[in-house]
Amino acid sequence: MIKFLLKGILNDKGRSLLPIIVVTLGSMLTIFLHSWLTGVMGESIELSSNYNTGDVRIMTRPYANDKEQFPNDLAILESHGLVEELKKLEPQVEWAERIRFGALADFPDSLGETRGQGAVVGWAVDLLGEGSKEPQRFNLQESLERGRLPEKGGECLLSEDLAARYGVSPGEQFTLFGTTMEGGFSFTNFIVSGTIRFGSPALDRGAVIADIKDIRAAFDMEGASGEILGFLPYDYFNEEEAEAVKGRLNAAWASDEDEFAPVAQSLRDVPGMADFLAYSNYIGSIMIFLFVSAMAIVLWNAGLLGGLRRYTEFGVRIALGEDKRHIYKSLLWEALMTGVIGSVLGTVLGVTVVFALNSHGIDISGMMKNATMLMPSVMRPAVTPVMWYIGFIPGVFSMLLGNALAGVGIFKRETARLFNELEV
Amino acid sequence: METEQIVKLEGVYKRFPAGKTEFTALNNISLAFGKGEFAGLVGPSGSGKTTLLNIIGSLDSPSEGTADVLGKRINTLSHKEAALLRNMGIGFIFQTYNLLPVYTVYDNVEFALLLQKRGAAERKKAVMEALEWVGLTEKANSKPSALSGGECQRVAIARAMVKRPQLVLADEPSANLDSKNSHHIVQTMKRLNKELGTTFIFSTHDEKVMQYLDRIIQLQDGMVVNQTGL
Ligand SMILES: Nc1ncnc2c1ncn2[C@@H]1O[C@H](COP(=O)(O)OP(=O)(O)OP(=O)(O)O)[C@@H](O)[C@H]1O
Ligand SMILES: [Mg+2]
Repeated sequence: MIKFLLKGILNDKGRSLLPIIVVTLGSMLTIFLHSWLTGVMGESIELSSNYNTGDVRIMTRPYANDKEQFPNDLAILESHGLVEELKKLEPQVEWAERIRFGALADFPDSLGETRGQGAVVGWAVDLLGEGSKEPQRFNLQESLERGRLPEKGGECLLSEDLAARYGVSPGEQFTLFGTTMEGGFSFTNFIVSGTIRFGSPALDRGAVIADIKDIRAAFDMEGASGEILGFLPYDYFNEEEAEAVKGRLNAAWASDEDEFAPVAQSLRDVPGMADFLAYSNYIGSIMIFLFVSAMAIVLWNAGLLGGLRRYTEFGVRIALGEDKRHIYKSLLWEALMTGVIGSVLGTVLGVTVVFALNSHGIDISGMMKNATMLMPSVMRPAVTPVMWYIGFIPGVFSMLLGNALAGVGIFKRETARLFNELEV
Repeated sequence: METEQIVKLEGVYKRFPAGKTEFTALNNISLAFGKGEFAGLVGPSGSGKTTLLNIIGSLDSPSEGTADVLGKRINTLSHKEAALLRNMGIGFIFQTYNLLPVYTVYDNVEFALLLQKRGAAERKKAVMEALEWVGLTEKANSKPSALSGGECQRVAIARAMVKRPQLVLADEPSANLDSKNSHHIVQTMKRLNKELGTTFIFSTHDEKVMQYLDRIIQLQDGMVVNQTGL
């Protein structure tokens, strides 16, 4: 019987062509959009994680309450000791000490007079330490516009936009005005070793990246770190795992009475990030729901038209002794087979498109000039295991749903009516 | 002559809703058909021939009265039971052939056997035999669109006969055929009636068909007005 139905599908283009095209397009688009969203959102999250928050972030309790201000007077003292403790507690996580700061950069002219002053946002990270993964996290080598990466103390990187605004070239010096841990005034000279462009406007506007040792010296923060970031060993943000690490650490520190005891937060705790993550988790199902609905409506109508066209066939089959229920079931079988054929085609096409675009990417930096959100400027769909099956969900389901609805109309007709209509 | 009765109608009425009132399509029909009969319902258009065949074929049920076919009471059959009765015991032949256009001649004939869930080898043997009865073995792999009207109707006969039903109902089988083909298909059915003992009930206007019938039942306004050949 299955073979009989399959023959019908293959021989009758009117029965199969439109549904297969609809299903193919639908599952292809589903795969593409799913991979696209996963890719773009995943990359945004990766950026946030690498530049700002890690997968988990350790701070002192009061620092955490005010973390957007980078309150370095509340930094973690003896942070190296805490890193050692963290390595023991969570050995699978890579820990990195950082200091975030806001400061004023003063660019002098050849006589030492001020040529221009600008506010900067600073990252103090382990740039020079042997085997440090920080340069890699910031993708520094690829982001370098002019000059070179810092090779010794006293050198730092400026974002290209900032350097261009003040006409600063690699090799030139500038003064960083900031506050010490005690709230005092500090100024330190740095040499610009090179300029960088991250491709994320939010970062490119005014960033300074310096070695953490220099910044500790500049701000009187010996032995201290504003934040300790933890990075999990996955290519994507593993929310469950990050939450688990955070939970374990906070449980361990819960009984610490010290006002400056450490506290762990995950990427989720970044304002807006929880929503963003929830959005990125549910957008897929919403999208598939919409696709299923839209496709089911199209396929329902196609099914109705096909059904009307096939009244003779149904009448004959009833006369030959087929139960209406059986005819209905065979319609669903046909829908299943058509759906599978379309989904296979759609998956092949969709996956091909994803692979192609994944290796090329689409440059959207032009559109992103004024964005404040941390977004990558080259978007690419992600290659995920999900893409191999996700197209089948709308493909098969909407085909079944559409034909089930169409079939009800036929099923409800009286046998004799159905039969008379064919006799005309 | 005492033969086994396979169709027995008693006081059958069929009423269809017609606006606010009802239209009586069959008016107190009592008839019986024995095994091996070659009988026909004749009468003007609208006299109730198709309605009566539909009831005998368990596609419809009487509004009043009883219809017993092959030992089953049509009035009380469920959809499923009616389907089973048709599947096992009744073959249909239509005026418009009603072959399934996307399938080959072979597939069309085989379909009835698929519904009976017969094995592949058995199906093949039965289909080829049925095509031989109607002289179409060479056309087994053709599509209906490649056949003439007469050939299509012969395929329809093969489809009705392949499961060797006890009863075949043929509603104006010659209406779309020319004289030569009309004679041919009725002769074919008559031969099968003799060889296999299958009961045939026709509805027809066609004089060429009537001359082959052993029994003619005349309907008018849903009533039997005359019978010959009993
Ligand atoms: N489903 C139905 N609903 C309402 N009226 C019907 C229905 N089926 C048949 N009739 C009416 O019943 C009467 C008998 O119809 P039937 O089809 O049995 O006639 P017939 O003898 O087969 O005619 P023909 O020679 O034209 O095929 C007709 O007047 C027809 O309009
Ligand atoms: Mg009729």
